[in-house]
Amino acid sequence: RRALDDDSSSAAAWKIAIVGSGPSGCYTGKYLLKSDAMANSQIDVLDRLPTPYGLVRNGVAPDHPEVKSVHHDFDSLFMKDGNEDNGQNLLNFYGNVTVGTDISLEELREIYDVVVLAYGCESVRPYDFIQNSKLEGILSAREFVSWYNGHVDYEWVGPLVEKALKRGSGQQQVVVIGHGNVALDCARILAKTREELDPTDIAARSLNIIDQQNRREISVIGRRGHVQAAFTIKEARELTRLDDANFVVRKDELDMGRTEASKQEINAARPRKRMEKLLTDAAAATSAMKNNTDDDDSQKKAAEVHLRFLLNPTSFETKDGSSLSHVTCERTRLVGDAGSQSAEGTGEMETIEAQLALVSIGYKGVAIPGTEEWYDDKRGILKNTHGLIEGSKEDLGGLYVSGWLKRGPSGIIGTNITDAKDTVASILHALKSSSPVDPKEGWKSIDETLKEKGINPVNWDGYRRIDAEERSPSRKRSELQPREKICSREEQLKAAFSS
Amino acid sequence: TYSRSFELAKNTVSITYVDPDGEEITVDAEIGQNLLHVAHDNNVELEGACGAELACSTCHLIFEQDVFDKLPEMTEEEEDMLDLAFEVTDTSRLGCQILVREDFEGMKVQIPDDGF
Ligand SMILES: Cc1cc2nc3c(=O)[nH]c(=O)nc-3n(C[C@H](O)[C@H](O)[C@H](O)COP(=O)(O)OP(=O)(O)OC[C@H]3O[C@@H](n4cnc5c(N)ncnc54)[C@H](O)[C@@H]3O)c2cc1C
Ligand code: FES
Repeated sequence: RRALDDDSSSAAAWKIAIVGSGPSGCYTGKYLLKSDAMANSQIDVLDRLPTPYGLVRNGVAPDHPEVKSVHHDFDSLFMKDGNEDNGQNLLNFYGNVTVGTDISLEELREIYDVVVLAYGCESVRPYDFIQNSKLEGILSAREFVSWYNGHVDYEWVGPLVEKALKRGSGQQQVVVIGHGNVALDCARILAKTREELDPTDIAARSLNIIDQQNRREISVIGRRGHVQAAFTIKEARELTRLDDANFVVRKDELDMGRTEASKQEINAARPRKRMEKLLTDAAAATSAMKNNTDDDDSQKKAAEVHLRFLLNPTSFETKDGSSLSHVTCERTRLVGDAGSQSAEGTGEMETIEAQLALVSIGYKGVAIPGTEEWYDDKRGILKNTHGLIEGSKEDLGGLYVSGWLKRGPSGIIGTNITDAKDTVASILHALKSSSPVDPKEGWKSIDETLKEKGINPVNWDGYRRIDAEERSPSRKRSELQPREKICSREEQLKAAFSS
Repeated sequence: TYSRSFELAKNTVSITYVDPDGEEITVDAEIGQNLLHVAHDNNVELEGACGAELACSTCHLIFEQDVFDKLPEMTEEEEDMLDLAFEVTDTSRLGCQILVREDFEGMKVQIPDDGF
């Protein structure tokens, strides 16, 4: 076990900056605050957005409020309002500050003894290996998710989604490519009724477009079999419980995926066994439903979610020369040993009609200016050892990394806890044998530096004003809706700086 | 009657959390309260990211076999979340779902090691 607290005799006045206020930034802050060595320190959390919490706000699906409730824990790290000053050390929020453009990494490292990069994954794994990936009607899941969550930079996505869905005149067809939880989130949001989405914090601008005018068919496709899928059982189970959508799983595709190696994978882990059962039951329900509805249209539901396996998308197709009409896929089969099976093409092709395609094959980290030398383009992370970025310049503060930018886009919110503890242990270890850097001549604090640059940061109170406005009854559709998000940066800043 | 329910509400049993270092923290746990809440009330380090909403699995606890056998059955939802916890054992449960009972008196419950 690595040490997470030291004796307070070494509690110097450290200055620490955390870049990014998502789960990894917040947990890094949380575990730094817990350490006695930090008792006299200043810990600032910078984010390029006026609002904190990263993907908790802009990624986690609006119909998962129970997941988003982790923000209560994070709030308490910044909270000053309503709390008497009980001497408790807190994190300081600096929203609306983009590191790399508004302020350079080098400048930050002159101001702070330690800089922790926790800015997540601001891009996606490229998907231009699928032909014609630039056709109208093709979006990354990241763009779609950011849009339905009201991220201020994704307003442009709405008209594209609207146009694509409108092109499906008789029936709207959507293909989601990928077998992770994000893919299932996209499918589920598209399959839910207005009544199901109404009490969530989905932005009104998105609800109006997503709202079903026509029957909708959503196919979620992946190259490998059901045993290799990355989605988890809670998300799969939700698809069996939609108000007005059928969940379709094909027995023959499950059978094809049950190679000897897959059977070993199933037997090796309890979660796999439970998933096997869920999907086998779903396939049985699909057959039963087919027999019932074949000659009875009245039983048809508003939407259908098809979870498809062993299909590799090879090209997007168009009929009108500009917009998506269907996706061509190649049937695959599994080859290789348990734990490392891969999908091999069989030559058999299938086309799936679609006006909208959402590619969900993974988020990816980027190198902000000043981090290029540590960037691993293949993995989209910054190279590090237990969170320490090596080769830090002598006269600049120590450089660390945490969260998705450190290990890649995997795991659940809780995974960022151990990950943050690992980085915090590295920081505390290094600080034990050093002392705060004496400010160089002309040293300026973060506040002075930002002011000089004409940047007006949103502090915690500013964010609380945005938060309060979003929750105000006059904005909300109903009492049940937690908040109606402000979806433009200008409007958010207006709320933040109003008094 | 009033006085009787008052007494019941105050009823506690003594239970022990064993932290990942093996250190034992014995606390008075209010009957009916969940084990995440009891931990937080007594400054026992147990994560509870989602605040007992059954959405995070960070409140994972490992029980003694005989106590585990007596616990109410897991719901599908608890099992779905537990599947995502680290170091799951045959006697693992999510702490926020387990309510303290009279027969917990003297029990020990292990906080799993998350590597730190
Ligand atoms: C669509 C989706 C749904 C998910 N749903 C769930 C779920 O239901 N349950 C679950 O447990 N996990 C879920 N996750 C996973 C979870 O969101 C991640 O584990 C977690 O958010 C990663 O945290 P992070 O802090 O590394 O990154 P992020 O949350 O992305 O935070 C990064 C922060 O850095 C900021 N930033 C970026 N660039 C800069 C810059 N240059 N300067 C300053 N700030 C910057 C961003 O604005 C952002 O606030 C989901 C993920 C996605 C993508
Ligand atoms: S606290 Fe989240 S599941 Fe128990």
